[in-house]
Amino acid sequence: MLDKIEHTKQVFITELQKVVTLQDLEQVRIKFLARSGEIAVLFEGMKTAAISEKPALGKALNELRQCTQAQFDEKKSSLEQTAKPKEVPFDLTLPGRPKPIGTKHPVVQVMEEMKRIFISMGFSVETGPDIESDYYNFGALNFAPDHPARDMQDTIFIADKILLRTHTSPVQIRVMEKQQPPVRAIMPGWAYRNEATSARSLVAFHQIEGLYVDHGVTFSELKGTLVAFAKQFYGSSIKYRFRPSFFPFTEPSAEMDITCFICGGKGCRVCKHSGWLEVLGSGMVHPHVFQAVGYDPEKYSGYAFGMGIERTAMLRYNIDDIRILYENDVRFLKQF
Amino acid sequence: MKVSQNWLKKYVDFKFTPEQLTEKLTMLGLEVESYEDLAKKYKNFVVGEVLARAKHPNADRLSICKVNTGTTVQNVVCGAPNVAAGQKVVVALIGANIPHNQHDPEGKPFIIERAKIREVESNGMICSEVELGLGKDASGILVLDEKAKAGTSLANYLGQTDVVYEIGITPNRADCLSHIGVAREIGLLVNKKLKMPKTVLRESTTAAAKFAKIEIFDKEKCPRYSARVLRNAKIGPSPKWLQDLLTSVGVRPINNVVDVTNYVLMETGHPLHAFDYDTLVGHKIIVKTAQDGEKFITLDGKERTLTSETLMICDAEKPIAVAGVMGGANTEITDTTTNILIESAYFDPRSIRRTSKYLGLSTEASYRFERGTDINITVLAANRAAQIIQELSGGELLRGALDAYPKKQKPLIVKARVSRINSIIGISLKKAQIVSLLKQIDVAAKSSSKDEILVTVPSFRNDLLEEIDIIEEVARVYGYNNIETKTHASIDFSSNVRTDLLQDEIRDYIIGLGFNEVLAIGLQDEATMSIAGKPLVKAINPVSAEMAALRTSLVPSALRIVKHNRNHGVRDLRLFEIGNIYLLNVDKTPNTLDAYYEEERLLLVLSGQNAPVSYGSASRDVDVLDLKGEVTALLSKFCLDNYRFIYYDNQESLCEPCIGIEINGAYAGFFGRVRIQIADKLDIDEAVFVCELKIRAIYDGWARDRKFSSLPKFPGVMRDLAFTIEAALPQKSVEDVIRKVGQPLCTNVVLFDMYSGQQTGIEKKSLAYALEFQSPDHTLTDTEIDNVLKKIIEAVQRQCNGVLRS
Repeated sequence: MLDKIEHTKQVFITELQKVVTLQDLEQVRIKFLARSGEIAVLFEGMKTAAISEKPALGKALNELRQCTQAQFDEKKSSLEQTAKPKEVPFDLTLPGRPKPIGTKHPVVQVMEEMKRIFISMGFSVETGPDIESDYYNFGALNFAPDHPARDMQDTIFIADKILLRTHTSPVQIRVMEKQQPPVRAIMPGWAYRNEATSARSLVAFHQIEGLYVDHGVTFSELKGTLVAFAKQFYGSSIKYRFRPSFFPFTEPSAEMDITCFICGGKGCRVCKHSGWLEVLGSGMVHPHVFQAVGYDPEKYSGYAFGMGIERTAMLRYNIDDIRILYENDVRFLKQF
Repeated sequence: MKVSQNWLKKYVDFKFTPEQLTEKLTMLGLEVESYEDLAKKYKNFVVGEVLARAKHPNADRLSICKVNTGTTVQNVVCGAPNVAAGQKVVVALIGANIPHNQHDPEGKPFIIERAKIREVESNGMICSEVELGLGKDASGILVLDEKAKAGTSLANYLGQTDVVYEIGITPNRADCLSHIGVAREIGLLVNKKLKMPKTVLRESTTAAAKFAKIEIFDKEKCPRYSARVLRNAKIGPSPKWLQDLLTSVGVRPINNVVDVTNYVLMETGHPLHAFDYDTLVGHKIIVKTAQDGEKFITLDGKERTLTSETLMICDAEKPIAVAGVMGGANTEITDTTTNILIESAYFDPRSIRRTSKYLGLSTEASYRFERGTDINITVLAANRAAQIIQELSGGELLRGALDAYPKKQKPLIVKARVSRINSIIGISLKKAQIVSLLKQIDVAAKSSSKDEILVTVPSFRNDLLEEIDIIEEVARVYGYNNIETKTHASIDFSSNVRTDLLQDEIRDYIIGLGFNEVLAIGLQDEATMSIAGKPLVKAINPVSAEMAALRTSLVPSALRIVKHNRNHGVRDLRLFEIGNIYLLNVDKTPNTLDAYYEEERLLLVLSGQNAPVSYGSASRDVDVLDLKGEVTALLSKFCLDNYRFIYYDNQESLCEPCIGIEINGAYAGFFGRVRIQIADKLDIDEAVFVCELKIRAIYDGWARDRKFSSLPKFPGVMRDLAFTIEAALPQKSVEDVIRKVGQPLCTNVVLFDMYSGQQTGIEKKSLAYALEFQSPDHTLTDTEIDNVLKKIIEAVQRQCNGVLRS
C-alpha cells in the first residue's frame, strides 16, 4: 500500500511536469485530485487495511494529498499568470477628481504678513470702530479745529461730528484710553476718504497703525523698529531713508522711503522717477495726544506709524488699477 | 507749490543739480514731487559759427562745413541750401536729441550720432527751426543773430535755463510757501545767509496819511493792516521778465500792478491786494465783519452771501473785499486806474479758513493766510510792492506807510530742555550744538540754565509753539538719517493679546474648504443696501450715489459680486467674506456714537454648480444642503456641538427657506436661499445660497480649550433601521426619537437613505438610518443591542407613527 502511495506521487509529479495548458492540468486534477481520482481511491483503500497499518497509511496519505494539492495549486497559478489575457493598464493621466481651491484676498495676504512681522516683535493687535467721532478721529489727535491739517484728509460725515474714520489712528486713542503704558500694538482696519474713485484712489482702503509707548522710547528706536520691519517685509538688502514730514499727532514726524524695488532705484514710472517709494508715515507721539488720553508726556514717550495696504499689495502683485481689488472678480481672486 | 530755480538764486547761491536739490529739499521735509528742467531739452545744442563751406566731393546737394562750436572746430555735413560761411547757427552735437525729424513722415525724434555721410565724417548737424521745435520753417537751417557767441548753449541763447520744482509743502510749513522761504532752507544746505531783496523807496513829500485812513473794528480777526498809496500810475502790461517769472510758477500775468502784488506774494509769501483808490468812498479802509445774508460780488464776478463771521474790508459805505480771500469787483484795478492803495495785512488764520471753507473759495492768498503769515512783514511787503510798481508804472509813491497795528505782538520765547531733546530723538547733543543747529535756520536760542535753552521764535515760523516743535527742528537740521537706528531690548510680551486670532483661523479654515475670499467696501449704494430692510447709516456728503450708505448685512453687496461675476461668465461661486456691518439705532440722537453699532460678520456664498465639469464626478446645481454641510463643518470645527439650527418661517428674512443658527443658545446668524424676488431685483436668475454669521457668536462658542477623551476600547456595532412615515414629517423628529431612546448605547445615528415613491406612496416616505452601538466598558452582545432596537422601534411607532420596514 505504501509503495502504491509513493508510486502515485511519482506518477503525479511526472504528469504534472508534462502539463502545458490549463486543459492538461484539468486532466491531471480529474485523474488524481477529483472526488473519484486516484488519491480518493487510495483513501478508499485504507478502509480495508489492517488496523495496525492505518496510522502509518493515514499519515502517508495525508502527506500525499497535501503535497500533490500544493504542487497542483502552484502549477495552476503559474499557468494562470501566463495564460491571463494582457490587461489594459490604468490610465494614470486621467484627471483627479477636482476640489475647489480656496484663496485669500491679496489685501488680506499683505495685511497678514505685516501683522505676522509686528506680532513677532511683540506687538498686540487691536481694533476700533469705522464710525468715529470727530474727537477720536481729529480732536484727540491734535488736529485743531479750523486747521488746514484737516484738509489733508477729506472726510465723509455721517452726522454732525460723526464720521467715517479717515485713518486708523483713532484706535491709538482708544487703546491708550483703556490701557496704561507700556502699550505696543498694531491696529489694522479700513479707513475712508472723500475722494473720487480712480485707478489710484478709492473711497475706502486699509491701513495698519502702530503704536509703542513706554519710558524712554526714542526716535532712534522708531527708526530701528521700522527698519527691522521693512527688511523683513521688503527684503534685507533694501536701502531706506527717513525724511521730515508733518502729521498733527506726531512730532517729530517722518516718512520712510525705501529704494524702489521695481527699478532698483534708477527711477521709473512707479516711483515717479525718484528712485524711492514712500512706504509709511511715522513720528514721535505728540505730547498733546498723551495729554488727551491722560498719559504724562514727561514720564512717557512713544512712537506711532501707519501704512497703507492697497498700495503695497498693488506693488507686490503688479496691479496697476486699485479698483480691481474690490471688484471681487473670481478670475482675479483665483490668481492669489 | 511751483518754485523757479532762477528765482531762488536771487536770494541764495547754490550749485546743486536738479536731482541733488530734489533729494536735499525732500530730506529737509520739503518734498519735491517733480521738476521740469527747461534746459534739458536743449542739451548738446550749441551756437556754432560756420567758418567755411565746401562742396561735398560725392554729393551735389551736400556741403561740408567747418563749424566753430566754442571749444573745437568740427566738420559737419549739411544739406541745407542756405548754409554759408560766417553764419551763426544751431549745431546739434553728438548725443543731441532732435525733437522733430523733418525727413520722417511722423516727425519722430532721433539722436545725433557720429556718422559718415557719403564717406565724409560728420560730427553733428546744423538744425532748422522745425527740427528744433522752434518754428515751422523747414526750407533751410535756422540762422541766428550775428551777435550770438559760438559755444553758447542753445538754452542760454534762448533764455530757457530755468528749472521749475513742484514742492509739496506740509500744512505746518507756511513759511516755505514762498521763494524766500524755500531759499532759507537751501541756505541751511549751503550754510549761507539769505540775500534779502533791498527796498529803496522814492517817496514824494506828500504824506499818505492825508489821503487814506484805516480803521480796524475787529482786532481779533485782523491784528494788523498796513497800506501804501501810489498816485498817477500808468496801468499796462508787465515787462517780459516779470511775465516770464510769474508764468513759470503758474501765475497768469494781468497788469503791472496786480502782477507785482503776485510777484511779492511769491517772493515773500505775504499776500497783497491792490484797490483802485478812487473807488474807495471816503478814502477809508474799515475792517469789520459782514451782516448775515449780506451779498457781495467778488473779482471773479460771482455773487457771494456773507455771514456775521465773514471778515470784510470796507470803505466808508460798502464792502470792497472779502478779507484775505478775494477782492471785490467794485474796486479792482482796471486799465483806467491811476491811483492805487496796496493792502498788506495780517488776518487770523482760523477766521480766513472758516470764510474760505464757507464760501468754497480757496485762493493763493487764503491758502497762505489760513496757514499763518508773518505779522512783522506787512509794511516790508507793501514797500516792496510799492517800489516795483513805481518802477514799472512811473507813479508817485506817497510818503509813509499806513499801518494800523493796535497790539504789537511780542516774539514768542519757547523753553526747551537739552535732556528732553536728546531723550526724544535718541541722540546726545551738547547745548552749544543745539543752539548752533537752530541758528542755521535763523532761529535764535540762548542758554538759560544748565539744561535749558530759550528759543526766540522768528515771526515767520508760526509752527514753533512749544518744546516738541523745537525738538523736531533739531532733529530735522541734525538730519533724520544721522540719527542712529536702534531697537529697545525690553520687549514685554505680557500684553500681547490677539483679538483677531479667531478671524484668521476661520479664514484659513474656510479657504481650506475651497472658498474664495472677497472684500467689499462698506459704503455701497442705498438701493441695494435697503434690501436688508434695516435703517441705514448714510453719508451726509457721499462721494457718489454708488457709495452713499453703509452695509447692514453682507448679503446685498455679495449679491452685487455674484452679479458682477455672472456678467463675466463665472457662475460657479464659492465665496466668503469677513467684514463689518453697521447698524443705526434710530432711538438715539445721530450725533453721538451711541447711535451706531458695528459688528463683524462672516458670509458664505454658494451658487451655480457644486463642481466643475470633469471626468469621474458628476456636477449638479448646488442646493441648500450643500451650504448646510459647509455651515455644519464650520460650526462643528469651532463650536463643537454648542450650536443648533432653528427651522422657522421668517417673512422678513432675506432667504426662503431660511434656517436660523444658535450658538450657546444665542442667535448667531442664518443661512438659506436668497429670496427669488430679491435675486430678481439684482437681475440674478440663478439660486444663490448665503450664510451670514456673527463672528462674535462663534468666538463665544469657540471651543479652544480641548481636553482629550480616551478612545473607545470596545468595538462599535452597526445596525440599520428603516421606517415609513408621513411624507410631511421632518426626518429630524424620527432621528431625535432614535437618539433619545437609544441612549446611552446608541452613540451615532446617520440618515443614509430617503425614498418616497411607488413603493411607499407619495404621501409616505421611507427613512433608512445607520445606528452605531458602543459601550465604554464591554463588548455588546446581540441581546443588548436587540433590546435597544426594540425600544427604538416602539418609540418611533408611537411618537412618529413610523412603521418598521423589513
